[in-house]
Amino acid sequence: MKLEILCAGIGGRGVLLASTILIEAAIAAGLKASASDEYGMSQRGGSVVSLVKIGDFKSPLIGRENAGILLSFEESEFYRNLTFLKRDGRVIVNTHKDALPGEVERLLKERNIRAYLVDGDGIAKQKGMIKASNIAILGYFSSLRIAPYSYENIKQTIVEKTKGKFLEKNLEIFEAGFRQAEGRDQ
Amino acid sequence: MMEKEKSGRKTDAEVMIGNYAIARGLVEAGIELAAAYPGTPSSEILPGIVEFKKREKMNIHTEWSVNERCAMEVAFGAALSGHKAVCMMKQVGLNVALPSFLHGRKKKMEGSLVIVSCDDPGPQSSQTEQDTRLLALLFGIPVYDPASPAEAADLAYYAVQYSFEHKVPVIIRPTHRVSHAREVIPLYPIGGRKVTLQEGVQKQQTAVSSQPSASIIDNRSSIIDETGSSPDASRLTAFGVVASGMSYSIAADVLAELGLANTVPVYKVVQLSVPIIDNRSSIIDDRETGSSPDASRLTPHALRSFIDSVDKVLVLEETDIVIEALTGDSKKIFGRRNGYVPGAGELTYDVIRDIIANVVNETKTAKVESVSDRAIEEALKGVHVQPRPPKLCAGCPHRASFYAMRRAFPDAIFPGDIGCYTLGISMGAVDTCLDMGGSVNLAAGFSDAFVQDGNLVPIIASIGDSTFFHAGLAALYDAVKKQKGFILVIMDNGTTAMTGMQPTPQTGITVDGTYTRTARIEDVVTGLGVEFLRILDPYDIPVMISTIREAYTYLNNQPSAISDQKSVSIIDNRSSIIDETGSSPHASSLTPNGPSGYEPSASNADNRSSIIEDRATSDSPRTSHLVPSFGGPAVIIARRGCILNSKLKPEDICDVGSIEKNCIGCKKCITEFECPALVFDEETKRVVIDDGLCVQCGMCLYACPKQEKGKKLQKQYGKGTTKKKAK
Ligand code: SF4
Ligand code: SF4
Repeated sequence: MKLEILCAGIGGRGVLLASTILIEAAIAAGLKASASDEYGMSQRGGSVVSLVKIGDFKSPLIGRENAGILLSFEESEFYRNLTFLKRDGRVIVNTHKDALPGEVERLLKERNIRAYLVDGDGIAKQKGMIKASNIAILGYFSSLRIAPYSYENIKQTIVEKTKGKFLEKNLEIFEAGFRQAEGRDQ
Repeated sequence: MMEKEKSGRKTDAEVMIGNYAIARGLVEAGIELAAAYPGTPSSEILPGIVEFKKREKMNIHTEWSVNERCAMEVAFGAALSGHKAVCMMKQVGLNVALPSFLHGRKKKMEGSLVIVSCDDPGPQSSQTEQDTRLLALLFGIPVYDPASPAEAADLAYYAVQYSFEHKVPVIIRPTHRVSHAREVIPLYPIGGRKVTLQEGVQKQQTAVSSQPSASIIDNRSSIIDETGSSPDASRLTAFGVVASGMSYSIAADVLAELGLANTVPVYKVVQLSVPIIDNRSSIIDDRETGSSPDASRLTPHALRSFIDSVDKVLVLEETDIVIEALTGDSKKIFGRRNGYVPGAGELTYDVIRDIIANVVNETKTAKVESVSDRAIEEALKGVHVQPRPPKLCAGCPHRASFYAMRRAFPDAIFPGDIGCYTLGISMGAVDTCLDMGGSVNLAAGFSDAFVQDGNLVPIIASIGDSTFFHAGLAALYDAVKKQKGFILVIMDNGTTAMTGMQPTPQTGITVDGTYTRTARIEDVVTGLGVEFLRILDPYDIPVMISTIREAYTYLNNQPSAISDQKSVSIIDNRSSIIDETGSSPHASSLTPNGPSGYEPSASNADNRSSIIEDRATSDSPRTSHLVPSFGGPAVIIARRGCILNSKLKPEDICDVGSIEKNCIGCKKCITEFECPALVFDEETKRVVIDDGLCVQCGMCLYACPKQEKGKKLQKQYGKGTTKKKAK
């Protein structure tokens, strides 16, 4: 199998942790995986992109309209990276809004791209850890059941990758993100 | 077999970035000394070596050097005396190390010397792209170009052995994509790594193995070795690709995507070397071949026969013309010289896909539809995308310094330097950015030029603490000696922030966490003969502004360098300045920080004890000399820990809710202060604070005309940082 995932967000908000969980989970499932990170000159607050490639690839880079999945941990970074998402792809956008601009909605529809708007910040804030909105997004992502990413697989990797006192909160937020998907029409 | 054991037991493969993979390969090869100066994208290699030496309980001397030349020469010294040594740097760091490099290559080493010089195509975090391979060839030193983190680990191991065996220095040149990509790296016991160079035409990988470890090992065993790789001459193909490093990996993926993996053969170049170094090596072909004999002498035999076996060749390499120049066969080649490959910038996936599609179509190898659909861009035209230009962090002390510099003299000349603080460029507080230490020398040059023209302009240079130790000392001494008239702000945040918080000489901490002697900037500055020195907390913006103005007054009160006769009164004049400052009440109450960690001044948000220390060289031998000496640069040390490295103290935290509350939408805090935590809400036309980013430093209160602090500043220093006249 081959799968290309682009994680986009802002520096200091856990984009790299999310991609680490994604590649470790893929490797735990017996697949080949690599990642490549892009962060500009800003130490904090700048655009950060982390590319995850699962399967038999040689390079860790993703081309235009090649990513099957786009995980945007911030809304502007979704627009900035939309050119990488392929037709029939899927995107999760961390936003408190319940609709995307009309033009964008039309484009996604025309390309058969499914977009899921999830208020990851809201979920994380409610649980008292706003910086963990990435985990809420991963929780939601696990509900899509795109191989090798099952709920159990990602959860297990979070358990292995998160340290001590944050683990419990992270799992709570992960769970809440996953629950958010309940009642979504498939 | 890779096994993921629960409960943290030892595994024999793990995910790591390319730089750690290099570190792993070096440690497995038994290196004994490693020295480096941090520079993106090379900075993680030395910490990786520290990590693995601790794990493997090896005796490896590791050190952050003050600059690349020190790193190179320390490593070279160890190599001459029989040790296996390595040094690491970024591509422009190699320039700093060059003096020893040029001559050193001919010295007989008893041990081995591996130089890792990381290139930065793009460039993403450098002043310029620079291809390390060009310098390697110029100096006749073999250079390896890894295509992936796993290959980088192998090449690092191989390079140490090659250098030890052949007694020549060797360079490894990873590009940033290799240095920073992450993948599974197999771990071997010390001395136990099995490496075969993957030079030559690569076999196509067929089915995906569900066992990743098996595919890694398969990959290895199917390697065509260095000398044996001779492509099937009978298979004369119309078109082939020669590629090196990350460009090879991308080209392979692109060809697979386009369904051409079995149609277009790809020759992978791993090693480049020239005869003067290793005339025993069989990869160098001395026979008279081909149409341009000079260049073909330098072309490895296998590569030459690959090129002979195809009609047209596309050469993909980063970032300069090296392989393309060596092959010399310009009629056959698609490359940079005939414009098929861009002459600058990174060869990204999209760039390589476009190049391959273009060449494949032109050679009629296949028909590839170009993806010229701009529908996505069209749909996004009306959408507001929050711009995120590179900015200093929220709460960064550099921002406060720059703001004060601009408020003090909006029309000054601002020579800048290399580090996070290069970003001061967008605040108009950095006018030049040349190379490490360049700020000091340029300031001196500007000062001379303006004095010559009889035109006195404030010149305020900025340099970070690590950069000051790297390249500022000789420059500052030169300026003191020649009595240049400029202000130098040393932005001392106690760390090498941009490259990942490596300790500076001032902290006295070494890379493996042990302590050595500390070197305090103020001691160095006074030791170099600087007579005006103030140490302050940049968060105290009003004091910083007044101190910069005081420094300028000091410079202008220096008698002209021509008036020799006045020397006595000059000295009087000076000693009075010294007395004034030397008796400052703060001077003895606060001591600079020792090695116990970086502790910026104890300060209070509303009532900061601003001047940490006034220093002057009152007991300097200068006072007893009767030779005229006329001032020289004024130095201000703006000392406060990097916000990412040292948390704000409770007493530094300000309530900035009033920024939102009283906002009139003038955007001054955004345009002049540029804190990334301040966002302008287009709907309400007011500023909102991003709680996720704001550290509550309170600095923006000085930039806001509706706040008490801002009003006060306006009364004293005028409206803002806007220039009075165009330059
Ligand atoms: S400077 Fe003050 S008034 Fe102007 S935008 Fe900022 S907070 Fe609002
Ligand atoms: S207090 Fe103001 S300057 Fe400091 S981080 Fe927050 S918004 Fe930025």
